Amino acid sequence: MPHAERTLRDRTAIVGVGYTDYSRDSGVSTQTLALRAIRAALDDAGLGVRDVDGVACHRVGDSVDPAQVAQGLGIADVRFVRDVFGGGSASVGTLVDAAMAVASGMAECVVCWRALNSRSEGRMGSATGPAAAAGDAQYWIPHGHLTPPQLFAMETRAYLHRWDYAAEDLGRVAITQREHARLSPRAMMTQPLTMEDYLASRWISDPLRLFDCCLETDGAVALVVTTAERARDLRKPAVLISGAAFGGGYQLTSNHWSDRSVAPAVRMAPRLYASAGIGPEEIDVAEFYDAFTPLVLMQLEAYGFCKPGEAAAMVADGATALGGSLPVNTHGGHLSEGYVHGLNHVVEAVNQLRGACGPRQVPGAEVALATSQPGMLSGATSAVVLRQAA
Amino acid sequence: MSDQQVPVLMDRDSREWWLALRRHELALQTCTDCGRLRWPSRAICNDCGSLEWRWTESRGTGTVVSWTVTHRPPSPQALVPYTVVLVRLDDQDDVFMPGGWNGPADGEGLAIGLHVRVGYQAVVDQHGEDATILRWEPSVGSGEEI
Repeated sequence: MPHAERTLRDRTAIVGVGYTDYSRDSGVSTQTLALRAIRAALDDAGLGVRDVDGVACHRVGDSVDPAQVAQGLGIADVRFVRDVFGGGSASVGTLVDAAMAVASGMAECVVCWRALNSRSEGRMGSATGPAAAAGDAQYWIPHGHLTPPQLFAMETRAYLHRWDYAAEDLGRVAITQREHARLSPRAMMTQPLTMEDYLASRWISDPLRLFDCCLETDGAVALVVTTAERARDLRKPAVLISGAAFGGGYQLTSNHWSDRSVAPAVRMAPRLYASAGIGPEEIDVAEFYDAFTPLVLMQLEAYGFCKPGEAAAMVADGATALGGSLPVNTHGGHLSEGYVHGLNHVVEAVNQLRGACGPRQVPGAEVALATSQPGMLSGATSAVVLRQAA
Repeated sequence: MSDQQVPVLMDRDSREWWLALRRHELALQTCTDCGRLRWPSRAICNDCGSLEWRWTESRGTGTVVSWTVTHRPPSPQALVPYTVVLVRLDDQDDVFMPGGWNGPADGEGLAIGLHVRVGYQAVVDQHGEDATILRWEPSVGSGEEI
């Protein structure tokens, strides 16, 4: 392999995944959630807390400090600590940080997690919560525009208008994922959802209705990352981190990005695929960050699964449902499984590649894509390609 | 939202912009080396990297890129529905500026591409001080799409 020393390709693996219950009120601290998910992920890997020498999480001022978690785990001399300030755009990137730490030799075994009580404690964008005074928020907040549904509603209208999409096009995303969630034991939303239900659901921020919006969830997920070599000797089939990329996005400052109806991940996608040495046609299952329904359509286009303007037809044709050509958000996603801010998508991708998804298993899934928020408003994005170890 | 205190959260980079707004001036930074406009305020030009810039005045017009109508209030005191618009300035096509909407609260009559001009709304900030926020309005001969 050329430049092997300079690529992440297949050098690290996810060897354990763990999660707490997803609920509306965990009744415990984010520290407890994190530690429980980490313990579960280590059990899954057949490793103990003494094997861990690195920690990485992302948070937005709403969760436990990773150094505190390292102390809690009894890691006396932690070799890698990564505390990422960021939300959905940073989720997959946090995993990439863990992989880079392992690939570089900085650490041998890094746990990576997201823990939040986003329903029972700090609800995101709450006007009564900590003021987000920094950066662009100061230009939105005076107009009563500060919650994630409001922020994404602005992007959504421009997108729907550009491609002449209808409300039903968003509704089909929600309905498809609800059907998937009905096959997941962890899912919070398992009642059938009809188009009538969708269209009748109340406006949150027009053009986003209730069922366009993700859940607010208390819960945590954790992943254990180590070297591909060591992964071979562990309990579960290893899932290789085959490709990874960070990419740019836009904020109010857009650096010549004047089309607010295309997700900026479109610029990163070729770099991501090149890092894994594949193209989109080799992806068997995609877990797209989906805080809101339109993000799924945008990413089908940005990651090259269809041409711009064709994502709605792809969903309507059933391509993204289980049994379709590219099953998407097979766990129900943030819309219906739970909102663990990106990393539960990576857990689902790992479980798909392990063949461990039971009734929602994508037959023969060998390569998966897991993404973070595709770069709108946050100014950055990240994604990984995961592959079943040979 | 007119009777409420409005949070105005200026920082050291944006303070001059907010003060200009109180004088009913819409300010943009202009790079004195390459002439590129930028907003929100930054110390450096995102084209040429120059640290030299000055405040200049925007033409104060633009087109509607998108808008939202909020039905679920982010705080219990907020009166809903209300509309917020995002405008692409005529000055430069990658400068976007959000603001309130001087039109029907439910956004009736808005359209993507609608030409608008800047308006100003006097408010009281969280310290009880007078402040000004942006409120876009249809440009003369409103209803035109360009």
